[in-house]
Amino acid sequence: MPPTRLASSLLGTFRTRSLRPAAAWRQSCCYHSSGYSQPPPFPPAESAILSAAISHVPSFGFTVDALKLGARDAGYLDASTNLFPQGVFDLVNYHLVTQRLALKDSVQFPSEGQSGKKLGAGAKVRTLALARLRANEPIIHRWQQALAIMAQPTYIPPSLAELARLSDEIWYLAGDKSVDGSWYTKRASLSAIYSATEVFMTQDTSTNFGDTEEFLDARLGDLMRIGGTFGALSSWADYTAHSAVNVLRSKGAGI
Amino acid sequence: MPPRLPLGAHRALGSTAFAVRFQIPRRFASSSAETPDIYDVVCVGGGPAGLSLLAGLKASPVTSGLRVALIEGQDLQKNRLQKDASLDSFSNRCSSLTPASVRNLQEIGAWRHANTSRVQPYQEMQVWDGVSDARISFDWDSARSLFTPRKPQQPTTIAYMIENANTVTTLLTRLEELGGVDMFSSTKVDSIDLGTDTEQVDLSSWPILTLSNSKTLAARLLVGADGANSPVRTFAGITSRGFDYDRHGVVASLQLSGPGWGGLDHKIAYQRFLPTGPIAMLPLPGNMATLVWSTTPERAAKLKSLSSNEFVAMVNAGFRLSPTDLEYLHTLSSGQEEEIAWREKHTPVNESSIPQRVASVQAGTVASFPLRMRHADTYTGERVALVGDAAHTIHPLAGQGLNQGQGDAAALVRTISHAVATGQDIGSTLALESYNSERYAENNAMLGVCDKLHRLYSVGSGPLVGIRSLGLQAVDAMGPLKGLFMGRAAGGV
Repeated sequence: MPPTRLASSLLGTFRTRSLRPAAAWRQSCCYHSSGYSQPPPFPPAESAILSAAISHVPSFGFTVDALKLGARDAGYLDASTNLFPQGVFDLVNYHLVTQRLALKDSVQFPSEGQSGKKLGAGAKVRTLALARLRANEPIIHRWQQALAIMAQPTYIPPSLAELARLSDEIWYLAGDKSVDGSWYTKRASLSAIYSATEVFMTQDTSTNFGDTEEFLDARLGDLMRIGGTFGALSSWADYTAHSAVNVLRSKGAGI
Repeated sequence: MPPRLPLGAHRALGSTAFAVRFQIPRRFASSSAETPDIYDVVCVGGGPAGLSLLAGLKASPVTSGLRVALIEGQDLQKNRLQKDASLDSFSNRCSSLTPASVRNLQEIGAWRHANTSRVQPYQEMQVWDGVSDARISFDWDSARSLFTPRKPQQPTTIAYMIENANTVTTLLTRLEELGGVDMFSSTKVDSIDLGTDTEQVDLSSWPILTLSNSKTLAARLLVGADGANSPVRTFAGITSRGFDYDRHGVVASLQLSGPGWGGLDHKIAYQRFLPTGPIAMLPLPGNMATLVWSTTPERAAKLKSLSSNEFVAMVNAGFRLSPTDLEYLHTLSSGQEEEIAWREKHTPVNESSIPQRVASVQAGTVASFPLRMRHADTYTGERVALVGDAAHTIHPLAGQGLNQGQGDAAALVRTISHAVATGQDIGSTLALESYNSERYAENNAMLGVCDKLHRLYSVGSGPLVGIRSLGLQAVDAMGPLKGLFMGRAAGGV
């Protein structure tokens, strides 16, 4: 079992009952395995209503109205929106979860050995992050509203958990198999970069979001530079520590 | 008897007894082709450090009875300096020998074989910051306090510039004069393995070298003087740590427009610290000088691709123009000469504080090598000792690489002669311990200082520039402190 996969964070687990009834029946498997097909994230009724509601978001925004219209489209009563105790946040969450899970199908990397040049992990992360940002395109004019909902105190923890799951998904799909301290730093830095770029994208007026792409590249570039400096610093520290021990040994200390 | 072997003097008798004992296994060696030829010391690598070690061993009466062999992959005779070599052309591989190294060469009797017309002592060193122009000048006269009178017997030489070929030739001549060294020239080491325990002799802890001429040698002590990628170090399983600087050193032999501002009797070495690395001009006899310019690999490639006129202009600019100007000049594909001439008109410099203008560059001498720092975890192992670059590789900014190797060789000679004089097995780790303890900390300090200087001066802007300039000027003003630094750099005067 790959231990590096963030299947259900602690945070998500104890909030399951109060915040997300849908998650309760996802608990059948508490870890991720590529050989095990994951159950759909939402029960069929909720899924039908929410997917219909999402199509109304461009015109109605992330509102109760969109939910009601979605319920009607799916053949339910308006009152069935009571299925969603968190109201519009459930709609936002539906978008986040489905787009995250869609990533593995929407982005296909050529298998290794094929077509000569191999993509590095950095390039893969960039492609995946861009693909995820592009998935916000149809509703980008409503996304500030979604961000505002996610920023409500009650919804901050599940939103952050979802962000963590997204960056975990991206690193996983990019083929990262690290099991050292960089597992955490990679996910933390990608989360920071992704959320900053997402906010930037809501303000972007350039054609085809060229500025957003540039912004993302610049942030990833910063990360590489910091990573390089950090690597050089740690190799220097490693050398200095070893040489101190070696000097003591040369003087006869039994270390 | 040289004074640096005090122990050997009254133990000459004991050493003779040992020399006899060392001979015994040789009879076995010749009895069968399977049994390896047994040597007391086998030195792999015929560079300055290895040759200095062997000359030191052969020059001392305590250790001259040891059976020693030298293995060198290249032809030792081919790389010798010609006796009648013209003084208008110099090799680009030059080093600065500190007075301590020269004293060591004198003690082993090698220095008198040096081609002194091709050796240039220098008496002053000018070092300055390329960003802030803060300057320090090193000469023995200014490195004393105001109240101590100048001692007439005090040396005035800071160091000697010498071609590596000259050093090697000097040592080889001395070795040939002493004799008794089995030289395997143009012979490579195919493999090093541990020996076996046979009925006649137990060689299970001895390194056995198989040479490319299919000879096998057994070494009581195997000395690795075989450079940075030392096979001996690999055999001993000693890790070497460090890092690559991502810098290349560009070297060239230059002809200046004059003999230098101090004339022929007072030569000056110059070094300017640029953010990409130091550029140094070191004096050679007459109007000649040698250049070492540490810079990024891209710029080094650029400099090497330039025509000789443009290269000369770039070197002149390297000592005169600002780092910003230099950065721009490296981006031009051609036309540096005119661009520099125009820019120099607008950059005021005090010509007498920088090297005289370069007139021409000797054809075919522009070359570059990568700069790195490496230090082996230890210099000794069971029947193994490392000297020179096999043990440590240093940034060339202080010109200490060759001198560290000479210091290693002298220390190892002392250790071996002590072991011989006290009847120890010269290959045992116990006997070799004093070599490691004498040299390791000292080399480590020198490596550390050069590494930190490189890092300190690779900062191009910010408050650090002010602080380092202030520090440099403070040291320049404090004579005794400066004297202390110079003493350390000269190898502990």
